[in-house]
Amino acid sequence: MAKQSRRNFLKTAAAVGATATGMSVLSPKKAEAAPENILSVDRMGVLVDTTVCIGCRRCEWACKQAHDLPAGNIESYNDEATFDKKRRPDDTALTVVNKYPTENKPHVPTYLKVQCMHCDKPACVSACIVGAFSKKENGSVVWDGSKCIGCRYCMVACPFQIPAFEFEKALEPKIMKCDFCFERTKEGKLPACVDICPVETLTYGKRSDLIQLAEERLKLYPDRYKNKIFGETEVGGTSWLYLASNDFQKMDFPKLGAAPAPGVSESIQHGIFAYFIPPVAFYALLGGIMYITKNKDKSEEE
Amino acid sequence: MKTKILLAVIFFVSAVFGQSIGKDHSKLPVECKTCHACDQPTKRNPCLVPCPREEMITIHMNPEDSPDVITIDQFKGQSDLYSKVVFSHRLHAEMSGMSGGCAMCHHYNPPGNVISCVDCHEKERKRADITKPDLKGAYHRQCLECHREWSTDTGCESCHAQKVKPGSPEPKISKSERKERVHPKIIEPTKKVYKTDDYENGTLVTFYHNEHTALFGLECSSCHKNETCAKCHSQFEKVAEAEPSFEKQHERCASCHDTDNCESCHTTKELPPFDHGKATGFILKTYHADLSCSKCHKSSKTFTGLNKNCVNCHEPWSAETFDHKVTGVILDETHTEFECENCHVESYSVKPTCDMCHEAEISFPKKIPGKRIK
Ligand code: SF4
Ligand code: SF4
Ligand code: SF4
Repeated sequence: MAKQSRRNFLKTAAAVGATATGMSVLSPKKAEAAPENILSVDRMGVLVDTTVCIGCRRCEWACKQAHDLPAGNIESYNDEATFDKKRRPDDTALTVVNKYPTENKPHVPTYLKVQCMHCDKPACVSACIVGAFSKKENGSVVWDGSKCIGCRYCMVACPFQIPAFEFEKALEPKIMKCDFCFERTKEGKLPACVDICPVETLTYGKRSDLIQLAEERLKLYPDRYKNKIFGETEVGGTSWLYLASNDFQKMDFPKLGAAPAPGVSESIQHGIFAYFIPPVAFYALLGGIMYITKNKDKSEEE
Repeated sequence: MKTKILLAVIFFVSAVFGQSIGKDHSKLPVECKTCHACDQPTKRNPCLVPCPREEMITIHMNPEDSPDVITIDQFKGQSDLYSKVVFSHRLHAEMSGMSGGCAMCHHYNPPGNVISCVDCHEKERKRADITKPDLKGAYHRQCLECHREWSTDTGCESCHAQKVKPGSPEPKISKSERKERVHPKIIEPTKKVYKTDDYENGTLVTFYHNEHTALFGLECSSCHKNETCAKCHSQFEKVAEAEPSFEKQHERCASCHDTDNCESCHTTKELPPFDHGKATGFILKTYHADLSCSKCHKSSKTFTGLNKNCVNCHEPWSAETFDHKVTGVILDETHTEFECENCHVESYSVKPTCDMCHEAEISFPKKIPGKRIK
């Protein structure tokens, strides 16, 4: 299943553990993302203005095109019936658009594009014991298939339930999630969804500029928006940011605090590796902790 | 030599200033800083404040003077998915009349020429200045903001055809067809009676719409400033909106009328149309009937104490300066000799009787002291 040999795996795991403990010595109170995961001040992001999105789903189509997923005919994306049930990103679609009623304008629905939020303190990065996930300098959180061992902790850890697993595939199933079009942006292109969006619901830019832009919009059009930039502080901040005229929780966004989600799991997990507790025991323990953390999140939501 | 240099300097300075402070600009009732960041913006460096700005600056034009049709094909070659859009500009200009006018789309346009969208909105999506949407985003946002409100159809094909193969189909509606499209004339209501059950002393407000336009000479846009297309064209049932505040409800009437006396509008019975004679005792005939209200009633809301005395509005006159012809009667030779008060004993608003000099049967209006011309 995994491309990695057992020896290599242990080596990486030990390295990840060691560096992380090094970090926690420097900052004992809060564990940061692993050191190779730089948080550049110039990191990019996307501001999603849901009040202008028309639900054309061209972003879904373009995303599939860019990732060699079967995309189908562009006209088939006009089918209104798609919105009948709420969808989640999965291994066949890295982003999906859902439809919600708008609070202050009953006849104009709000459409909401969902994908990986590219967290600044990504839980998936912390949860991954082999360092298959990393936060890149440009803000993207990407997954490296050559390191993945298929444990799927990332799926459990993600506060937005983003990473998907190719359950259908028997041979080399992959973790699938939006990669912020890492390959495209490396070439100087825009993310495929940003590029195609007819109304520019998705504004691509430096995260700091996007926050400024969002604040400006909130100030100028207080009637149009709920006074909230989702992602500005949630789980330590995310690269993708949202503006909306609806309550975010009413659009299936989880209610999250400003504390990074991976904080707990990370220090414990890396701590374990520092003391070389056998992987089996570690798996059981970590699984339990994940479960508790998740349930804690849930009860906070209620 | 010195004078030449001086002249050159003057010429140069005036050229720079002539450019920077255009005639029209100086007349604008806005702070320069609304649009310009620096103290002396020039044509070359206008140092514009980033959009969206706090205030809208715009131009106003008659729809008839605007282009009929505009072809939007700025993205030729950039995307091969859809063909150009043939936009019926004039039709849309007409429609915008009651919802903000030209400003609805041409926001932040200084006076003078209409600047095109591409002058501010960049064609490239990948750009340094993200404070305003790129050109494609700007176009689509403008169109769809209204279109999605009155119709759920936000389908791409309602404006531009999909290109199957390069160079194939043209837009569904041709340029000439678009040119002919105009908004049908809006049928104006005559009378509207609003039920105001909340106000017990008068549960009806009778509003004569036709009087406000024909008699009082108001433009549609004097009252209808911010209507959405959906107000008339919505395909959905009207939903009960939250009750607006007292101020909001009275806003339109209060912009001209004094709303302190509730019973002047809220009555128990439907009111008859406005009749100046009945309401004030001063019947409007010949000359006065043609005047707009504001010709005499100079300030709205407050009654300034106008009465039937002509001198309220007219300059005082004397027999020497007054041309009696304007009353419709040219006085004969005998009567031009008299002073005004000889005939107009009481006041000018009361028709004279002639019994001071004449027998009863020779009195006005049976007999006329000259020639009637009207
Ligand atoms: S984000 Fe853009 S491309 Fe995606 S559905 Fe909304 S409008 Fe269409
Ligand atoms: S949203 Fe989930 S998958 Fe994406 S970066 Fe954050 S934790 Fe990782
Ligand atoms: S950024 Fe790229 S991978 Fe992510 S949703 Fe957009 S197109 Fe898909």
